[in-house]
This record gives sequence, C-alpha cells and structure tokens, in this order.
Amino acid sequence: MAHFSFNLLHSLEPKRDSYGFALRPQYAQTYREYSSIYKEEEDERSDKWSDFLEQVAESSEPTSENEHKDTLKAEPESNEVREERNPHKLSNGDDSSGRQFSELEEETIVVRKSAEGNEIIEETIQDRVSKGGDSSDRTTSGGTEIKEGTSPGRVSEGDDSSGRNFICYSATGNNSGKEQHHSEERKTCEVQRWAEIRPSLITIEEIFSSRIKKGKQMKGGKINGINVHLPSIEESEPVDDGINGSRAENALVDQNLPELFSRWKELESLVQGGVPKDLRGEVWQAFVGVKKRRVESYYEDLLARDESEEQDVSSAAFGKWKKQIEKDLPRTFPGHPALDENGRNSLRRLLLAYARHNPEVGYCQAMNFFAGLLLLLMPEENAFWAFAGIIDEYFAGYYTEDMIESQVDQLIFEELMRERFPKLVNHLDYLGVQVAWISGSWFLSIFVNIIPWESVLRVWDVLLFEGNRVMLFRTALALMELYGPALVTTKDAGDAITLFQSLVGSTFDSSQLVFTACMGYLAVTEARLKELREKHLPSVLDVIEERSKKGRAWKDSKGLASKLYSFKHDPGSLEEERILTEGSDTVADGNVQLESHSSNLDEMLNSLNVDSEVGSLPHLQEQVVWLKVELCRLMEEKRSAILRAEELETALMEMVKEDNRLQLSARVEQLEQEVAELQQVIADKKEQEAAMLQVLVRLEQDQKVTEDARRRSEQDLAAHKFEVHVLQEKYDKAMQSIAEMQKRVVMAESMLEATLQYESGQSKALSSPRTGRVQSPRFENPTRKVSLLSFGLGWRDKNKGKPNAEESSESLHDHSSPRKESDNQ
Amino acid sequence: MATIGHNNLNAKLVGPSSLFSISFCFFFLSQSFSIPMMFSPCSFHQVLLGDMGAGKSSLVLRFVKGQFLEFQESTIGAAFFSQTLAVNDATVKFEIWDTAGQERYHSLAPMYYRGAAAAIIVYDITSSDSFTRAKKWVQELQKQGNPNMVMALAGNKADLEDKRKVTAEEARVYAEENGLFFMETSAKTASNVNDIFYEIAKRLPRAQPAQNPAGMVLVDRPAEGTRAASCCS
Repeated sequence: MAHFSFNLLHSLEPKRDSYGFALRPQYAQTYREYSSIYKEEEDERSDKWSDFLEQVAESSEPTSENEHKDTLKAEPESNEVREERNPHKLSNGDDSSGRQFSELEEETIVVRKSAEGNEIIEETIQDRVSKGGDSSDRTTSGGTEIKEGTSPGRVSEGDDSSGRNFICYSATGNNSGKEQHHSEERKTCEVQRWAEIRPSLITIEEIFSSRIKKGKQMKGGKINGINVHLPSIEESEPVDDGINGSRAENALVDQNLPELFSRWKELESLVQGGVPKDLRGEVWQAFVGVKKRRVESYYEDLLARDESEEQDVSSAAFGKWKKQIEKDLPRTFPGHPALDENGRNSLRRLLLAYARHNPEVGYCQAMNFFAGLLLLLMPEENAFWAFAGIIDEYFAGYYTEDMIESQVDQLIFEELMRERFPKLVNHLDYLGVQVAWISGSWFLSIFVNIIPWESVLRVWDVLLFEGNRVMLFRTALALMELYGPALVTTKDAGDAITLFQSLVGSTFDSSQLVFTACMGYLAVTEARLKELREKHLPSVLDVIEERSKKGRAWKDSKGLASKLYSFKHDPGSLEEERILTEGSDTVADGNVQLESHSSNLDEMLNSLNVDSEVGSLPHLQEQVVWLKVELCRLMEEKRSAILRAEELETALMEMVKEDNRLQLSARVEQLEQEVAELQQVIADKKEQEAAMLQVLVRLEQDQKVTEDARRRSEQDLAAHKFEVHVLQEKYDKAMQSIAEMQKRVVMAESMLEATLQYESGQSKALSSPRTGRVQSPRFENPTRKVSLLSFGLGWRDKNKGKPNAEESSESLHDHSSPRKESDNQ
Repeated sequence: MATIGHNNLNAKLVGPSSLFSISFCFFFLSQSFSIPMMFSPCSFHQVLLGDMGAGKSSLVLRFVKGQFLEFQESTIGAAFFSQTLAVNDATVKFEIWDTAGQERYHSLAPMYYRGAAAAIIVYDITSSDSFTRAKKWVQELQKQGNPNMVMALAGNKADLEDKRKVTAEEARVYAEENGLFFMETSAKTASNVNDIFYEIAKRLPRAQPAQNPAGMVLVDRPAEGTRAASCCS
C-alpha cells in the first residue's frame, strides 16, 4: 500500500530545518541557536496541552451521556436512514458501507443535538438540493437546473444515485481506453484515506463545528451573490462577521455549559502559546471543522470526474488550471523529502479536486503552498476539506480572478499602518516605498516563505483557531513594530526594502512575534475590519469595473504623487507626456497649472475647473473631478503629516530637555549626597584626629614619666654598681687580709716558740710576766689583736732589719689601691 | 536613538523652508546630502513581467546572486532584489521587482510597474502562449506605463533549442516594431543575462541640468519612483 500520510521527517541535513523545509544559508546559524529553545518550548506546551485535554475529556463525559440519549431518541429515524441507504449498500463493500453509515448516524446526532430542529433540517435539505443540482449539472450536459427549496430531498438523492450509476456504467463499458482510465482512477481512489482525529480532540471539534452551519449558508449566499452581481459580497459580510464575532456565543448556546467560556479562554491561551507538533495536524482539522464539512464520496467523485463530461467553458478554464498546477508542482517546496513523487501526486489530486469544487477560484499560485503544508500534517482527504475551508471561508474572495478581497485588505492595512505607525509610513512615502509592496506578498502567502517556519506555524495556529483573518493583520503590524525603527534610519528605497526583508526573514523568535501580535493589537478586531472593508471595497470595485470597461487601469492616488514627484525631478517628461498620451493630458495640464498657480488650494481648483471647461469630454471631466478629490485628500494628508512631524519634534525636544533635567537633578542629588558623605567623613576624621592628639599627649606624659623613671633607675643602677664595686674591693681586701693574717699567725707562732725557748734559757724570773699579757688580749679582742700584731711586727721589724720592709710596702699598696678605685668612681 | 531621531526630524523639517520656495513644499519633504553628487549611485526602479514559469525569478537570481535552481519556487505577489553595477563612468543601482506571472495577478502588477524606469518582459521560447502573454504586457505598458520606460524583451530558456516554439526572428521583428530591444537569454547557462541588464543601464537616460526651467530647484538625489531618472552622470 502507498504511504497515506507523510510524517514529519527530522532530516539531519544542515540545509533543512526540523520540518524538512529549506533553510537559507545566512540564517543557518541563527536557526541552530534557536533549535534548543524550540525544543524546550515544545516540551512545555506538550505538557500543558496534555493536561488540558485530560480535563476536557473528564468534563466531556456528561456530554457523551447526552449523546447516548440522543441516539436512543433518534432510533426511529436511523431506521429510515438505513432504508434510504440500502441502494448505497448494494453498490459498495460491507466495510465501507458500515463505516459510512456510522458517519451518517453521527451527522444525524449532530443535527438532533442542536435546538433549532426544523430550521436545521431545512438547511440540510437545501444543502443537499444545491449539491444535487451541482451533481446533475456535472453529470448531464444541458440538464435542467433544480431550484432550491422546491424539490424534496429524496428527488435530489435520486439524482446523486443516478450520477453514481452513470459512473459505474461507464466504468463497465467496452471501450478499453476508458476502462484503463477508470481503473487508474479507482486505483487513485483507493490510495486516498480518511482518518478520524483522536478521541480527546472530538470535544474541541464539536465546539468549532458549531460555526460551520452558518458558514455553509454564507457560502451558498456568497456564490449566488457572485453570480448575480458583485455588491452582494458586501451583503454577505455581516453574516461572516456574525459567525466569527460570536463564535463563543454560538458555542455557549449550543452546548449550554457554563464552563465552556473558561475552557475557551484556556484553549485560546494554549493556542497562542503554540500547538504541539504531534497534535498540530489534528488540532487544525478540529479548528477548521473538517469532519463537519466532509461529505462522503465527494472528494472521490471530484477526482473520478472525466473532463469531457464538463461544459466547454469550464473545461477550457479547467485545462488552464491543470497546466498551471503541473508547472507549480515541482516548484512547491522543492527538495522537501515528503513531497516525493507520491507527495506530488497527492498535491496534484488535491489541487485538481479543489479547482472542480470551486470554479470561481480554480487554481491560484500560493494555493500550492497551502495544500502542500496541509498534506504534511494530515491525510489527503482531510487535507482537502481543511484546504476548502480555508480558501472558501477564511480567505473568501482572496484568490478569485480579480482578487478583490486581497486588494481591499491591502488598503485596510495601509490605513491601520498610518494610524499606528505614522512616522514610519511618512518615511516610506518619502522614500517612495508603498506599504503594499511589502505587505502584499505577506497576506497572499499567509507568511509562507516569508518568515521562518516555526513562526509560520505559530501564526497559522492562531489564524485557524480564530476563524478569520484578524491574525494576518496583527502579525503584519507586529513585524512593522519590531523592525520599523530600523527602516526609519535608511535613506534609500532599495536599502530599506532589502534590510526589512532580511530582518523579517530572521524572525526566529516565534513567541515574541506571536505575543506581540496577539497582545499588542487587541484593537484590531473582526468588527473593525468589517467596517474598513465596507469603506474600501467600493474603490477596489470601481477600479476593476473601469479596467474591464476601458481595458486600462487608472492610476490611484499614489500614481498622482509619484507623477508630481517625477515632474519635480524631470520636467522634460511633461512635454513628452503631452505628445504621447492624450489620456494624460489633463494630468499634465494640472501639473503645469499647479506650478503656475500654487498660492492656495482654491486657485488650483479653479485652474482645474478652467481646464475641465476646455476639455469637453465627460471622461476628462470625470477624471478632473477625481483628481480634485485626490488632490485635496493628498494635501490634507501631507499637511497633517507635517504638523504631526512638528508636534513630534517639539515633544521630542521637550522630552530631551526634561530628560536632561531629570538626569541633572539626579546628578546633583548624587553629588550632594557625596558631599554630605565626604563632610561626615571629614568630621569623623577630625574627631579621630582629636582623639589621636589626646592619645599623643598622654603618650608624651607617659614618656616623660618613663624618662624620669629611667633616669632614676640609671642613677640607682650607678649607685648600686658603685656599692657593688666598693663591696667587691672590700671583699678582695678582706680576703687578702685573711691570707696575710694566716701567714702572720703562722710566723708569729713560730717566732713565739723561738722566743719562749730563748727567754727560758737565759733568764727564768724576768721573762715570765710579759708572756702572760700578750696572750690574754688576743682571745678577748680580735680587732685589737690585729693592731697588736701590727705593733708587735713593727717592733720586731725594726729589730730584725730588711725582711720586715717588704711587708710594710705591701700594706701601703693595698691601702692606696681602694682610694684610686673610689676616685675613678 | 533619541539623538538620531532628533536630527532626522530636524533635517526633514528644514527641507521645505530652505529648498523649496514654491507650492510643492506641501507635497515633498526633501533632504540635502553632504555626499558629492557625482559619487552617489543612481537608483532605478525596474520590473520583470511575463507568463508564469517563463523564468523571471531565475533570470533575476542569476543576475543578482549568480545562482540557478532547477526548480525555483513560485513567486507570490512579488519579490524584491537589489543590485549595483558600474556602467561607463556611472554607478547604477537596480531595484528590481520580480512579479508573479499567473494571469490573475495581473491586477496587482500596476502597483509595481507604475513609476518604473525599466521593464523586462520575459517569455519562454518553448511556449507560444508565453510569447502571446508577453505581447499583451508590452501593449499594457505602452498604454499605462511610464512613457520613457526602457523596455526589454527577453526570450528565456535559450538553452532548450530542441523545444523551440518561438523563432528569434519573429521576436526581434516584434521588438523593433514596438520600440523594445530584444535578447534571447538563458538563466541556466547565464547566457546574455548580465548583458540584458547592462544594456538597460546604458539606455537609461541621465538628467541634464540645462533642462531645468527658470526658478526651479532640482534636488540631485537618487529617488525611488523617478521615471526618467534624474541622477549623476
């Protein structure tokens, strides 16, 4: 079997992003930096969505009970449905028949659930009738048109079945070529697959499906309007507004649940934060209401239709579209791994089917990218119904032959730009750059191939959720806000556009872009856009009508401004214009007269009046009138722009001055604080100095005291030394004395003995009284003993002679040395 | 930023009072340049028109970036390219709008070719339909475009000689009869790609001071939207 749905391929090639789309070399580095951020954001939002879906699943259980009751109530009708579908059963296999039957039953339940029973039934019948009509037109050339509301449902159903029988009959024909052709068709049918989205998203799908009933009604009305006359598009706008503007109210009324509003707000917050990759395909289907939109076998029938069966006119147009689609298939995301041969075959089938589905649009370049994107996210038939919803409703009138709504939206966007970013627009006017040059391709491509893919998908998340084009305008305004300041600094149109394209292409911060868009431009609402569409639609229609009538497009106000501007720079072109173009003659004359009579507006207008009198043709008069109106508007715009610029300059200068004052006052305060701090520091230091002085004084006093003490101690020390010295001398002297005394004692004893022996030997009676006196003083008085010894020795010395002289000299020396020492001290 | 904005506003406001003493001060804010005139590049607004798939985008990509992609993505709305080149003694800057070729985008084309100094009408030599479409573009430009527009007819895919459907002679005759110059090009082989852009640059007129009327002050400044451009020589 062929690969039904193309899973996202996480290619490892550095030249492609995680979705498989081509990555321009100059952005590769930035993308790598954001890859990790994207992963973190993806994990975070996956968790949030899981929690939300669990809560929804829990709260949806009561709803399923209601469904069960409705099933019971609808039991009799389901029998009728079975009877009606019996012929269908016979023509198909059991499995597909059962499946389709269950889907029909679900549709019945959906119808029954709404409280508008009869009206819903009538609408359903009308839808069937209109589709039956289409079918009969396609199956039988020149068939009778079936009017709406006048035929019973069964008759239209009969037409449907007869159409199918016709196809089966032709398939069984003898012509081998036809057989081969139809067998191929059947093979392609088998490849296609319809898939239900996961159960947890069914509740969300039901909520969003509630806005589709009116959508179908609107679609029918719009088609009729287009067929009749263009202004009816304007009439269908209010219906569209009702659908989108009150989607919450519709949901509340239908479901009658008080929790629904808070669920809606929570879902809105999640959507603005981004839908997880794994859920995106199914969530988008739920938002667009694919299941509700689907009509069984419709897609297969579109593909199975033979070209020769169609009318000549539509066949010719279809042939052109077919060629264009073939050219664009390989030019849709070239090299994307999912768009291989099978992928391109799916894309071809989808685009061809849509061209048959909506001949008012057929095929328009840009649709190939949308279809390719949807095929990357969901099965083929699901993608077809999502695609049809987007082109038929979200962008109704955008991709038709005249592209009316696209041109209207550009005028609206320019007005919003002038309102929101007057300085930027004024600068672009000055450079000669039109806003629509830049934003035109943004809107037509829905930012595909304009901003990085992560950002494209984030924008589409919100766009599909809201069900209208508001997000388109908000995103464009957000890009202008983000990068407008850079443009204001440029001095050349080419540099401005080149710089802007580069900046826009580097919008990898998808969260910043989406939040800036969603939070920054709440005033841009569907109601506001509706008003602006009513305002600008007539001018676009007038241009188209004039072009179709006269085969040439008249230049708009920008043309006039450019013309005048060019005239300033090359006046020679004026004469050439006169000669070459008769139609431009009035404009040229207007230029000349503007130059010659430019003192005030009235004179210029009078000059134009004069010129109009000369030119008698009504055509020229109309042009002159139009020129006057445009000229007045232009002059008013320029004057208001100049005044605005002056006001801005004044405000800016005042702000600058005030800013300087604030800075200066802050500076002064800082300086004052610093001065105060410094003064405190000085005071502290003075105190410290005083304290230190006191300390120094005390130290000096202490020092003096210490000095005195030192001197005293020195004196004491000197005295002690002296005393010590004296004592030492005395000690030495004493020791010497002792030594001498010992010697003398020894000598004395020896002499005494000698004397005693002598005296006793010579005279006994005379010597005995002297010896007794000498002995007694020795023992009683030691001091006297010394004196006696010295006296005695002196006496003996005189008697003896020389030996006594040495002893006396020694005693004199000992007696004199202490005196010398004391003198030294 | 405040300083820059201040100077910018101031410069803008000085323009009208000092440079324009006549009525048009209401329409144009002008600005003096300190750069000498002869060194400023002249900017020309240029547009490419032609049937879808004729190779307009490939032609511009080859000229601006020297690239050729076998399958160039479809152009939605229009794409902008900028390229500077030297011609004789002048430096010329091309601001090129590459438009979408599908027929229904025709209603958006005036926005891009109005005010263009030059246009290249591209057809595919292997497709007679694209040549028919090219002729319609020529007629429209002659009716509604800048009368002084330099127009070139480019027969692209010249490398596919074996599939040729439009002869060079037929195209050359048509070009001469309608005041265009003609070249067969090949974006794939880069044949005549630079030549066609250089030829346009040579043919673009220069402003001549002698043509100034008395009392008129011309600002010698490159300007977007200038039709027969006033620029340095």
